Amino acid sequence: MRTLEGIVTVVQEGRFLLTTDDGSTHLLILSHAAAAEPHQLAALQRAQSRVRATCRPAPDLIGWVVRRLDVLEATA
Amino acid sequence: MSVTAERSVQAVHVHPRARDYPGSFLDGVIPNESELTCGTRIEPGKSYGFFTDTTLCIGCKACEVACKEWNALPADSVGFTGMSYDNTGGLSANTWRHVAFIEKRGPTGTRQTDQDAFQSGWLMMSDVCKHCHNAPCLEACPTGALFRTEFDTVVVQQDICNGCGYCVPACPFGVVDLNPLDGKAHKCTLCYDRLKGGLEPACAKACPTDSIQFGEVPELQARAEQRVEQLQSLGVAGAHLYGAPGGEGATGGLGHLNAFFLLTERPETYGLPPAPTRPANRVAPGLLAGLATMAGLALGALALLGGGRR
Ligand code: SF4
Ligand code: SF4
Repeated sequence: MRTLEGIVTVVQEGRFLLTTDDGSTHLLILSHAAAAEPHQLAALQRAQSRVRATCRPAPDLIGWVVRRLDVLEATA
Repeated sequence: MSVTAERSVQAVHVHPRARDYPGSFLDGVIPNESELTCGTRIEPGKSYGFFTDTTLCIGCKACEVACKEWNALPADSVGFTGMSYDNTGGLSANTWRHVAFIEKRGPTGTRQTDQDAFQSGWLMMSDVCKHCHNAPCLEACPTGALFRTEFDTVVVQQDICNGCGYCVPACPFGVVDLNPLDGKAHKCTLCYDRLKGGLEPACAKACPTDSIQFGEVPELQARAEQRVEQLQSLGVAGAHLYGAPGGEGATGGLGHLNAFFLLTERPETYGLPPAPTRPANRVAPGLLAGLATMAGLALGALALLGGGRR
């Protein structure tokens, strides 16, 4: 498990892009085991929210599976 | 930098170098942009789909990339398939467009070394959800997560899908797939979000040869008939439509396919079923067969028990 902190920039279904402070963008997939639902992600993107994602590499995919998502601040 | 551009920069975290060109920032999306890109105005209540002319496909995979990019789908099957130039393999929960590469074999079963002109030893086809008129996936879905949109397309609502997977075997084309990571079914949405914003679907917009044409289904069907006639007059005897009303692919009660294809070989060559059917057609015969079996077993048991008492 590792954590990624950044801004939610794009949301599609249960997938989202997280741009971290170093400017790199990561693709994250909300796990079925996470205490969050896909429809909650759109609000985070609209608010350009800063979040911390606790995740692990997705097997055979270039992306991360999110087990826990903490909203740190909403910037808009 | 104008006030509008400044606002846009703040809103979307653009790359610093992009800020050198504030003139390229727009206040919003261009209204009815699809009219500019494909000559189609997108309006609720009309039927939209794709006409994929495989004779124009050059196998560039721009559609695959555009779909992944727009829908934030991860790269999958990281590795080498060894299947010609096809490193995608097939449609899946993370791949909603798949460009099939078929290398034609010679009469002896080996690859031909002599080829006619125009890459005739290759067949390429960009496969996708067919957005069936009578969609078996939608009929099988017990929660109503799969629904028909105002654009006559078939979409999975992620917040309603419970991951039961009934839609997966129901699709006669092997399109829908469950993602074990999020436990939900996924497939092409025909870019539902883009259609609502007046934008042409990403794959069709990216296609450099117009092999993928987006538009109103009746208009596309008429255009496809003309293209078949044109190709046949040029000597492509095998040119035919797959998924047009009443034709190949639109069998077994499916009606027609909103995403249909122009093929030059048998559908099996491209990995398409020659005569797809709706599983719902088999409900009544299956039920009757079950009832008949039950009746037969009951009669057999009665005969046995009755015989035993005597
Ligand atoms: S092709 Fe399969 S997934 Fe697409 S609408 Fe038809 S049945 Fe559903
Ligand atoms: S219509 Fe959109 S979702 Fe469907 S294959 Fe094309 S880009 Fe992907």
